[in-house]
Amino acid sequence: MSEVLRIENLSAGYDALGVLHNIDFTVQAGERIGIIGLNGHGKSTLLRAIAGLTGWQSGSIKLNGVEIGGVRSQGPGRFTHQIVRRGLALMPQGDALFHGLTVADHLDSGAYTRRAWRERMRRRERMLEVFPPLAKLLSVPVGRLSGGERRMVSLARGLMADASLLLIDEPSLGLAPKISKGLIEALMRIDLGSGAMVIAEQNLSRLEGAMTRLVTLHAGKLKGGAAANMGLLGGHH
Amino acid sequence: MSAFIQSNKAAAEGPSLIGRRRLLPRLRSHGGALWRRWRYPFTRRTPLLIETAYNPKTLAAEKEIVDKRPLYWIAGLLVLLVVPPVFGDNSFLSAATVFAIYAAINIVWMLMIGTAGIFSLATLAVVGAAAYTVSYISIHTGLPWWGMIAVSPLVGLLFGVLIAIPAIRLEGFYYALLTVGIADLCREFVLQTQALGAASYGLYGADTYVPKGISERGGLLLSFYAAFVVMLAALALYRMVNGQRLGLLLRTAPEGQEAFAAALGINYRAARIQVFLISSAALGAIGGFYATYFKGASPALFTMDSLLLLLAMIVIGGIGTAEGAVVGTLIVVLFDRVFIGLGPVRLIIIAMIMFGTVLFLRRGLFGIAPQFRAWRDKRRSERRALRTGEGDDIMPEDATQIADKQAIYTQRFDKQLREELKKLVTDELIAEHRRTDGGRRSDALERILTFFRRAEVAGKYAILAEKPFAAYRIVALSGKRGMPPRLVDDQVFATQEEAQHGVFLKRIRDLLDS
Amino acid sequence: MHIDFYYLAVTTVTLASIYGLLAVGISIIWSSLGMINMAHGFTFAVSGYGAWLVAQNISTNGVVVLAGGVLTGMLSGAVIGGLAFVPLYDKPNFAVRSLIATLAIALFGSQCLLWAFGPRVKALPPIFPTGGFKFGTASVSYDRLGAIVCSIVLLLAMLAWMKRSRRGLEIRAMMQNPEGAALVGVGLRSTAIAVMMVTGGLAGLAAVLLSRTYFVSPFAGAIPLVKGIIVALAGGLGSLAGALIAAALLGLVEALTAVGLGGRFVLITQFLVIIIILLIRPRGIAGMLERTRE
Repeated sequence: MSEVLRIENLSAGYDALGVLHNIDFTVQAGERIGIIGLNGHGKSTLLRAIAGLTGWQSGSIKLNGVEIGGVRSQGPGRFTHQIVRRGLALMPQGDALFHGLTVADHLDSGAYTRRAWRERMRRRERMLEVFPPLAKLLSVPVGRLSGGERRMVSLARGLMADASLLLIDEPSLGLAPKISKGLIEALMRIDLGSGAMVIAEQNLSRLEGAMTRLVTLHAGKLKGGAAANMGLLGGHH
Repeated sequence: MSAFIQSNKAAAEGPSLIGRRRLLPRLRSHGGALWRRWRYPFTRRTPLLIETAYNPKTLAAEKEIVDKRPLYWIAGLLVLLVVPPVFGDNSFLSAATVFAIYAAINIVWMLMIGTAGIFSLATLAVVGAAAYTVSYISIHTGLPWWGMIAVSPLVGLLFGVLIAIPAIRLEGFYYALLTVGIADLCREFVLQTQALGAASYGLYGADTYVPKGISERGGLLLSFYAAFVVMLAALALYRMVNGQRLGLLLRTAPEGQEAFAAALGINYRAARIQVFLISSAALGAIGGFYATYFKGASPALFTMDSLLLLLAMIVIGGIGTAEGAVVGTLIVVLFDRVFIGLGPVRLIIIAMIMFGTVLFLRRGLFGIAPQFRAWRDKRRSERRALRTGEGDDIMPEDATQIADKQAIYTQRFDKQLREELKKLVTDELIAEHRRTDGGRRSDALERILTFFRRAEVAGKYAILAEKPFAAYRIVALSGKRGMPPRLVDDQVFATQEEAQHGVFLKRIRDLLDS
Repeated sequence: MHIDFYYLAVTTVTLASIYGLLAVGISIIWSSLGMINMAHGFTFAVSGYGAWLVAQNISTNGVVVLAGGVLTGMLSGAVIGGLAFVPLYDKPNFAVRSLIATLAIALFGSQCLLWAFGPRVKALPPIFPTGGFKFGTASVSYDRLGAIVCSIVLLLAMLAWMKRSRRGLEIRAMMQNPEGAALVGVGLRSTAIAVMMVTGGLAGLAAVLLSRTYFVSPFAGAIPLVKGIIVALAGGLGSLAGALIAAALLGLVEALTAVGLGGRFVLITQFLVIIIILLIRPRGIAGMLERTRE
């Protein structure tokens, strides 16, 4: 089993505020990990720190063995595109969509990395299988969609790339229970291949049973991730 | 008694005050009342904000000027008033006059941009429009110079009303760009209209306040003093508008947060337009003065280049303050008029200063100090946030909450010890523990084991013999009487030695994780 | 009063294509970079000099001169982007500071041009053959025709490129949501430089095509800049379609005014039209067409 993500001693925050403290976290290929935590305990910040979107961070983040972290306090987002090109897809809270562009444009933009761009049509077909409601909406500007449809577009855009690590921030936030259940089921259907998926959620019941492993994030520290620590002394057992 | 001015403010800003409380009471004394009795006529303003109190330690009466800016202003203005007439030659004196006029324009402009928050770039257009109009009237009707100055605010006001109309609907950049266009429109109009001196590149021949028979130096001196008075008037206007009711109203409605002010019932739009119109009238008056000084007006007022220089002035000083306007103007005029021998290079230097300012400074020269403080605070809190982990040093602001001060130092000591011990953990050390079960050990291993033994009882690992000599498991003690220990995991060890090594590994891991 | 329809049409199309070329650059830069490029006029001026140097030293062939102008424009655009956008884009107060930074670059650049080349205007060799033809009652010179065709072709190509290509999608994505764009792998800095180069190239092209109207001089860029800003503003900053509609409209207004009232009133009528447009729609013609950067 290969490691997709390995975080060591990560601290991160915004300006004077430290949100994450000394986090160690490992994700193996094929895993679906749920991060459970209350509002304001650092779930989103953890995902954003991996994507290089926090104000400052220190510690090591390795994606597929390549260092993407390090000590940074130079403006957030400066390196995000490079991290994304190394195989990360973050579907953030609030979706970060392009309101004037159509659904088809969004799917194409998700396939922005060069290899994916060439086969974007095929990928688009695949996405429409995962999210059938989008098929009818391809030429509609995203600004006119409903919340659930937008979330689908955001997820589909993230899935279009050849990401080996999918980070999904609260897929069910602000959606009716039925819709969010459908979304999570759709996410479970996705074939991860040699990649992995991390979902941050407030609500334990939504993820229970569906994930390989659950960890909790409390006050900026990871708890219960026994496997997260395994790597440290693995060699000595 | 000597005035004992102790800088309390500096002490309050010192670095080590976080979490500490000032325990000594500060007793006010009555010396300040004497100072507060002085008022500017017809206002309730005191010349200087002076606080008097007894020193809490020595009980000596102390006096502190809370806000020293009025003193700096007076000193700066005195220097500006004295230096050019006494030390300057004629060209320097006329440069100083131009400086005073431009400083006045910029101070009023600052009212528009800073106080009213309307990013108008048609400032010089208002000045120019007034200058052209009064020059035209003066040339054709023989209006004397005082008449010109009297009429010009009306022209400025009229022009201000015209360009304020789009400001009702347009925001920020849209309005700024539109005003660039308006200035260009004026330039085109002036250049194409014969009656406004299209052929002679400017409209000249208006009356001037400099009397006919006066010597050259005398005329220059008179011009300089008059321009200086105009600048003082602009400063007074700035103070009156920005420091009083209108300015306060507008400070409640900074850009992007107008909704709060609106919710309080503050009509910020009306206040903005009011300030805009007042400034326009003032710009018109300055335009009238300009026309009487230059005996006319020139289309150069409307060009992009003049606008650029004017913008450079307020940008270098820092948008939003009167002192920024004056100092920025001083720097730019110094390069533009005094070092005139440099040719085009002087404008290149101005451009470079301007570029450097926006690149590195948020609010110009007068923003350096706050920007530095903000940067320092940010770095400090970043470092602090990085340092606080579990079991880390207790930060000063938390330390005040802990009664047992020894706990703070114990924790600090523990943290340092753990960091040191972490370095000792190696593969060989772990192998050694497995090998030398209970036997003679190296110093490093002994140190680590001593540290482990010292651990708190709560959460301490122990070995539970499920079946003696056959099955051992690791438990963690609850630390409370009557509460049983809990199982740590499902590992089962065949011998006691293996279980002991298992506990050791767990403890090592906890140490490395901490 | 008799109005010559053919003359009016030719003038309108000429002006519209010129204005379009000037405004589209400013508009794209604003919407994708969030920056008002006041140094666009400098790019215009320096491209003229680039073309002039090419004509002096390499060849007076029209295509070569044109290429010289376009390349200089692209280079100038890239430099402006590198100086004003890259260091500032994630700093507070970016919009105002970048505006001032580009103004400083414009001042710096035009003074350098003045220093290096002197204040005398330079003339470029003719790019299109002299002569012309009759269109109805109006005569059209090949020069003018070439300018019209060139700019229309380029603007259409630009529109298509923005709509179809990977780079175009990237720019459109960045216009709408820079963070979202970064999240799909769009590099903001490289895209910004690309945008600056493309718009710089457009300005360079305009400089060469318009060298008969705005001669090559250190301050040649001021008037095209103001015109471009005004047209972009009326179109609604950030919208290509809006800018093109505004260009056509203002071209028509200018032609009508010139024919009906006289050239002196052109700016005044144009301004009245723009102010009326902006009073009705503060976000310009495109305010209702599409959502752009706030």
